[in-house]
Amino acid sequence: MKKIVLAVLLLSAFMAKAQDVQKDTIKTVSIDSLKETIDEHSMKFSALDERLATSDAILEKLAKIKISGYIQAQYEVFNYQDHIGPGTSTKASPVTNTFSIRRARLKFTYEALDGVKFVLQPEFAFDKVTLKDVFVRLNDRWLNTFALTVGQFDRPNYEVEYSSSSLESIERTRMSTILYPGERDLGAKIEADFDTKYSIPLKLQLAVLNGNFNLGTTSNQLKDVDNNKDVMARAVYSLKLPSKGLGIDFGAHGYFGTTQILAQTTPPTVFSDVNNNPFTPVVGDKLDKQWLGGEMQIYYDFLGGMALKGEYISGTISAATVNAAISNSTFSYNRVRDFKGYYAQFIKNVGAKNQLALRYDVFDPNKHLSGNTVTTAGDLKYSTWVFSWHYYFDDNIKISAGYTLPINETSTIVGGDYLKDKTDNTFTLRFQAKF
Amino acid sequence: MKTTKFKIALILLVIMTIGFSFTAIEKVTVKGSDTMVILSQKWAEVYMKKHPEATIQVTGGGSGVGLAALINGSTDIANSSRPIKSSELEKLKSRYNTLGVEIPCAKDGISIYINKANGVSELTVKQIGQIFAGQITNWKQVGGVDAGIKLYGRESSSGTFVYFKDNVVKTDYSPSCQTLPGTAAIVNAVKKDKFGIGYGGAAYAEGVKDCKVKKDDKSPAYFPTAETIKNKTYPISRYLYMYLKSKPTGQTKAFIDWILSPEGQSIIAGVGYFPVK
Repeated sequence: MKKIVLAVLLLSAFMAKAQDVQKDTIKTVSIDSLKETIDEHSMKFSALDERLATSDAILEKLAKIKISGYIQAQYEVFNYQDHIGPGTSTKASPVTNTFSIRRARLKFTYEALDGVKFVLQPEFAFDKVTLKDVFVRLNDRWLNTFALTVGQFDRPNYEVEYSSSSLESIERTRMSTILYPGERDLGAKIEADFDTKYSIPLKLQLAVLNGNFNLGTTSNQLKDVDNNKDVMARAVYSLKLPSKGLGIDFGAHGYFGTTQILAQTTPPTVFSDVNNNPFTPVVGDKLDKQWLGGEMQIYYDFLGGMALKGEYISGTISAATVNAAISNSTFSYNRVRDFKGYYAQFIKNVGAKNQLALRYDVFDPNKHLSGNTVTTAGDLKYSTWVFSWHYYFDDNIKISAGYTLPINETSTIVGGDYLKDKTDNTFTLRFQAKF
Repeated sequence: MKTTKFKIALILLVIMTIGFSFTAIEKVTVKGSDTMVILSQKWAEVYMKKHPEATIQVTGGGSGVGLAALINGSTDIANSSRPIKSSELEKLKSRYNTLGVEIPCAKDGISIYINKANGVSELTVKQIGQIFAGQITNWKQVGGVDAGIKLYGRESSSGTFVYFKDNVVKTDYSPSCQTLPGTAAIVNAVKKDKFGIGYGGAAYAEGVKDCKVKKDDKSPAYFPTAETIKNKTYPISRYLYMYLKSKPTGQTKAFIDWILSPEGQSIIAGVGYFPVK
């Protein structure tokens, strides 16, 4: 028994000593290997730091590119006399309703440095991609007042510059479509905003333009087609009465340009002047194309916001279909006319998600003639009622419904369909996704 | 157009329009400035205790985020530590046909945080601007030790970023300025970095020291305190704002009225800011 106990004790002693020896060895190994592990991780962290720094630099550059855009898909129902127009609809083969893509645009904005911005906005259609906005903008960093824009941009007019994705009425006015076809033009524009630095709520714009955008074929719009530049100037003052919840923006703009006769037919095409008298211009003649306009927008914080907006423009417009280079599809005549046009639009926000708009717009292409003294359909005045409702489904989706009701002037001399108001109404249901 | 039916429809539409405009809101969403988030949460907490029927939800994200949320309709109140930009106002006008409502609700001094071990104790506004623009890069240039200056700042959606840039830096921030997501992160970074410098609301300056700021070389230097901000001797002070898209009604109005009341304003000092009056 004693021998067994002694043997067990001796064995235990050896085992303990062995464990002690093992423990000492593990301690030394642990510290060394810990140091190695720490060094290894330290090197990995340094490497990660370097990679992160590189990624940061790339991310910083990418963060300067902003991409936005919107798609407008719509369903239209037409109520046209004899089913004639728009599109391919005829009396024999009527098309009374259609789905279509009204706009599909992407906008790329790159802010290279503070104060230097590049903008590129293509528009996508089934058969082509066209450029809407393409410009470089330089903001002055010293006075924080001036900006120079060079490229293709919206002409300086309230309705034209208003984003197509935010229009309160389903489409722009007839006046705007005729005077500023395509909204844009190629040129250079200087703007001054005296609010930032001087707290004066005045904005000035001066643009020098080619003057032939959206006139003629696409190839004729890439550069100027005559040696004349058109000039636009605009000034807007914003009056704010925050205690009354009232804001009034009012201003004026002018367009100063010409339509140059670049070609004539043989025998020469006869034009019509402002008094409806015939005249025959020759190549090189410049026809007047200038007008002045006033604008006002009143915003009133009443039961969730409402606005009353209006413009009045009057002057002389000219067009020449004899020039393929400058033929205006929205005013395709060989004539010079004194015109006037105006609109008044009432907008009411209903809660946070609904908006109603009612617009009445008038375009009189020949203000010297009216009623039964009008001799051609192109001189008939159009008054248009537009009713619109918008529902903001969420941050990105807007559903709009609009009813457009044009009323044409009647004339016994023009006759035909224009002895009465020709039916040409359109109902539009539009879905817009914007990001 | 001149039919009786059309006139009746128009009258009904007007009545519906006015009717739908009156909506009572019990839940109020507040979003925006990180500078104001602690203050705003405190206001919401105290108000909801007194008004159990109300739910006030407060989140941060930066002044820019708050104003964008106001424009797209996902918040009732946007907190902002800077005035609304004209481009944001145009978007508000376009979306809601109002000028928006601006309510200054508190005052704040922008503190310049430096590490407690940093020997520099005062700077002029110009020097601060030059430091953050990267034109002064070594502490020895402003009376400190020979060591590079490490810059800590906010992201561009921050109202504090915009305010500081417009009023102090007056040019682009230095590319070496590290972007951090919130004033607390800046304070934390400066606390750990002996040669760091940052900026942010006075309420957040814990564990770091405020740098005294002087208008120019000839002026005395001041700390951002209630007195120096009230009497405008501290050169970098600003209003903190709440923005709404239109005149408030219902619970939103009641909440704002309470914030501007003596009771609501008395909470501000406890958070480290200063009453609006």
